[in-house]
Amino acid sequence: MPLFGELEIDAVAPALPQLRDLDTEAWEIPKAEIVQVAYEVADGTRTLLPRALHPAIPEYVTFVVTRYPESPVGPFDLAQLRLMARAGVHPRGYVLGAVASTDAAVAALRERWGYPVVRGEVAFRRYHDRVASTVRRGGETILDIAVVDPEVIAGGDLQYIHAVTLARVDGAAQLVQVDPHYTVHRAARGRAQVGRFAAAAWNAAAVRLTTPISASASTCDTDLPRIRFVMDPQIPVVSGTKKVR
Amino acid sequence: MKFGLFYELSVPRPWTRESERTVYDNALEQVKLADELGFDQVWAVEHHFLEEYSHCPAPELFLTACAMVTKRIRVGFGIVVCVPQFNHPIKIAERTAVLDILSGGRVEVGTGRSATWTELAGFNADPDSTKKSWDEFVRCLPKMWTSDKYEFEGEFWSMPRRTILPRVYQRPHPPMWVAVTSPGTELDAADRGLGSLGLTFGQFAEQETRIAEYRRRIQLCEPVGEFVNDQVSTVNFLYCHEDEAAGLKTGRRMADYFNYLATQLISVRETYPSKSYPSLGLLPQLRRQATGPDSGEQAGEGLCLGGPERITRALKRWESVGVDRVNFLVNTAEMIPQTEVLASLRLFGREVMPAFNGRKD
Repeated sequence: MPLFGELEIDAVAPALPQLRDLDTEAWEIPKAEIVQVAYEVADGTRTLLPRALHPAIPEYVTFVVTRYPESPVGPFDLAQLRLMARAGVHPRGYVLGAVASTDAAVAALRERWGYPVVRGEVAFRRYHDRVASTVRRGGETILDIAVVDPEVIAGGDLQYIHAVTLARVDGAAQLVQVDPHYTVHRAARGRAQVGRFAAAAWNAAAVRLTTPISASASTCDTDLPRIRFVMDPQIPVVSGTKKVR
Repeated sequence: MKFGLFYELSVPRPWTRESERTVYDNALEQVKLADELGFDQVWAVEHHFLEEYSHCPAPELFLTACAMVTKRIRVGFGIVVCVPQFNHPIKIAERTAVLDILSGGRVEVGTGRSATWTELAGFNADPDSTKKSWDEFVRCLPKMWTSDKYEFEGEFWSMPRRTILPRVYQRPHPPMWVAVTSPGTELDAADRGLGSLGLTFGQFAEQETRIAEYRRRIQLCEPVGEFVNDQVSTVNFLYCHEDEAAGLKTGRRMADYFNYLATQLISVRETYPSKSYPSLGLLPQLRRQATGPDSGEQAGEGLCLGGPERITRALKRWESVGVDRVNFLVNTAEMIPQTEVLASLRLFGREVMPAFNGRKD
């Protein structure tokens, strides 16, 4: 049997976002900009992963920074650290930590989709030879990533993996699947660069980056979708998945 | 139609000192029986680092052992990864020749390029260039087997004039195949006069269309070897049981678990956007086509699970759409006891094989 996560839910339960309900309506977001950097990590991240999920082979993370130019709470930027995993046979990115650029976005993302998100500054910069993003919190740079030497690729070559968050739903910890749609207008792939990563600031002290995989930048129409599935974080998803709609 | 076995050699956790040995021993026993039953070929893949899913990094060694305990079954060396960081082409040519000699001319060679980030990154290989290196390798190999002396200067490797030894036992050289997962790769095989070694199931109608186009294209090919290997092979699961329901239940469990293990790995496409890997590759496709939520009844019917009559029907359908060979996965991670795997093979040999024009005793 594949390995499972080893997260002690009780240890993180007090800090989990509280979902308002499972009736979250979708937000359609046109012309979002996404920077994604994928990096292999050293063994040892299973302690961060709920028992319902399997670690990827090899273990790796993605940094996903999205600029949402419009939304019901106004424009905002969202940076996420995802520990890549498997929910049964499906690849999923378990969100370890997130930073959003406005208070309204923080509140909405926590109570509607269960993102473990806090307020910070998220910068997006396009240079002639790179697309970069920097995240700052409390006066400290906690993330500095870039897509170096981006080259145009077909939108169809990009595959964005769905996210899962861990939140309290009706008083119990649940994994919440966040599975947006993407219509990619423009895409580029480049080398992954991480100039600064303060792991502890992302609830990920055990994460140590080892080998760069790839980086991409895109412009796409997307959404923050209705919630379709929730999962018991303590048992395999094969038996612990509940279809919401 | 001819039948074969197809080995990934999956080893379940916990890994004990004996667990890998048991998997290899059981596989050898299955191959020995398959040879006696009249199966035509046994294939073993080349995979690296694929925990539980495949502990088979040196297929030519396993196949040498197979050849030593069998008399007639052909040994499919492949999929040999034709990427320079994995295998030097001279070594592929040499190892093939040794295996061909030891097996008395029973080697078939399957070529491919790997579809997982897990493996390609493990060898520090560039996913963008694997198709090009594969193309270069498959054009060189037949000439390395048939030339008195050989020299080459290419993009991925070069060698001065040398005699590559030993020579292959078969004349002019072993049949060559291409691993086909992504739609369109069968046309790459056809254009080079190579056999299409399908590693996914697909739907009957889809396969029929692809095979028809393969047959059309290969008529116009410029073969890389000394002869055209105009054959289409597919992979399937096999669990044959007198009790249809029991066979289906156990077989489905095996297929599901195979796919479960496969999806734990990282396909190139998941992490590394590249036009070189337009599809998800073998592993997710197997899951989706065979057992996923979007698999249709038709795909389920194409699996060789259940009673002999059902399996015969499925194979007749595959035969009718143009498939020449079917290679079977007969177990996953030892979840079916070895005695039952052997019983399944015997029942297949007794009740199903006579309905086809396979090799007879």
